Amino acid sequence: MRAPSSWGRIALFAVIGAFILVPLAQTIITSFVSTLPRAGIAEGHFSLVNYQNILHSAALKDSIVNSIIYVVLNVALCLGVGLPAAYGFARYGFAGDRQLFFLLLVFRITPTVVLSLPIFVLFAQIGLANTPVGIALVHCVFNIPISIWILEGFISAVPREFDETAFLDGHSLPSFFFRHLIPAIAPGIGVAAFFCFVFSWVEVVLARILTTTGGKPITMAINGLFGFRTDFGLVMAMTVLAVLPGIAMIYFVRNHLAKGFVIRT
Amino acid sequence: MKLYDNRAWFLVLPALVIVTFVGIVPLIAVTNYSFQDLFSLNNPYWVGVDWYRNIVTSERFYASLGRSFLFSAIVLSIQLPLGIWIALLLQRSNQFIVSTVLVLITVPLVVPWNMIPVIWLNLINPNAGLAGKMLAWLGVGFDYKFNALHTWIVLVVMDTWHWLGLVVVLAYAGISSIPPAYYQAAAIDAASQWQVFRFIQLPKMKTVLSMAVLLRFMDSFMIYIEAFRINAGGPDSATAFLSLDLGEEILSFNYGPSAARSIVYFLIVLTVAWTFKAATSAPAPAVPPTQELAT
Repeated sequence: MRAPSSWGRIALFAVIGAFILVPLAQTIITSFVSTLPRAGIAEGHFSLVNYQNILHSAALKDSIVNSIIYVVLNVALCLGVGLPAAYGFARYGFAGDRQLFFLLLVFRITPTVVLSLPIFVLFAQIGLANTPVGIALVHCVFNIPISIWILEGFISAVPREFDETAFLDGHSLPSFFFRHLIPAIAPGIGVAAFFCFVFSWVEVVLARILTTTGGKPITMAINGLFGFRTDFGLVMAMTVLAVLPGIAMIYFVRNHLAKGFVIRT
Repeated sequence: MKLYDNRAWFLVLPALVIVTFVGIVPLIAVTNYSFQDLFSLNNPYWVGVDWYRNIVTSERFYASLGRSFLFSAIVLSIQLPLGIWIALLLQRSNQFIVSTVLVLITVPLVVPWNMIPVIWLNLINPNAGLAGKMLAWLGVGFDYKFNALHTWIVLVVMDTWHWLGLVVVLAYAGISSIPPAYYQAAAIDAASQWQVFRFIQLPKMKTVLSMAVLLRFMDSFMIYIEAFRINAGGPDSATAFLSLDLGEEILSFNYGPSAARSIVYFLIVLTVAWTFKAATSAPAPAVPPTQELAT
């Protein structure tokens, strides 16, 4: 193949990088600026006041805890039920397997706003509204399909003989899962956890309708900051904090990010 | 070959139980609501298909449907070629550049959806935002509040910023799964860069790309929070997409009409998913036989 100019490519990547980074840079800059008139700090000047305000607000700190609780629960649930299901799909044919796979696809792409009304009514009746547990459960509707999709791809790449050898060695299915399968597809579990984390962390429609009075996650706490005189510095500081865990996750899976979708045909 | 064993149902059962609880049961409930007038949930009054008739006979519904289709079409025609092109360039780059670009381009994916419009409004603010000041300095009279075209531009650029990473990751996943032997065979045949793309890379990317198309189509078609925050469907309903109508009804607790609307939208989703499935499970297109290329 003709070798393309590498400088041209790098210049292009620089343009794309700038496009991605400028809005984020603006956010970070604003988060370090005092955007409301305050005693002792000139408006529009550099200040750590926004981050200090977060530390002094119990509601904002609670929201960070709520977010972490529900997202960890959601990822654990999706991986816990997703792994056996993915194994079932990867290794066996069974009555209705294709229909079930289609059903999962449909729920993955169903907009959350379509389900929000009945979920609100249902969860309010059984006491799951206004708790992080409720959000963790409801986000399974689009995250279980994702985890099954990704894990199934990774499991399919492992030859069947791998399982058979383990079973011949006397491993039961659970022991095979923990001793052999999970170590063998560790990157896949990382990638699945990453995508479950992302889609749960950023979702706001269901999170909003389920937390009208309590259990608010970061996203809803930020919504609550808008008012007659919005402190944009504080909003941006919260946004920066809300993006940091995601960036850490990206960093951990960076070398496997693209592999999650390779194998499945 | 897969073994045929119905005991595999036990493996998928836990997943199915949860999906039933948070997906299928709510759908049944919403179907039930859609045929009733529910002033409160305890006093249902059967109205048959009235709500559906209201939706499918309203001009507003078709106008929103048209706008949503147009938005998805624009978004796909920008993000898909751009994402594929970036992935193709990445494929010729070294590991360091690949990691850096992939990390950078996926960062917008982890930004909570309600913050994306806030970030962009801050950016295009003519007094404080970098882009806003730049446009003012250039003398462009940019007015996303009252100029429909400008609102659309903001939405499309913002959506591209938000989702380009997903397309790039998927496209790159497809490209990096191609064995080097394919390229060697192409080089022996003196295939042009376009031929390599058309007959090797594109067919090999087909599965992941169709997934990218499906995900991007659905998410842009039902864009809600982002579009609402930018201009609340304005100016003059120019950006009133399907989800905005539904969101409005849910927030005013019109149970019956919003339930009917949810079902209509769900049927659209079902149609799209079905089309997607039919399209991807079609027989493989005519491509050079793999054995010839691999040897």
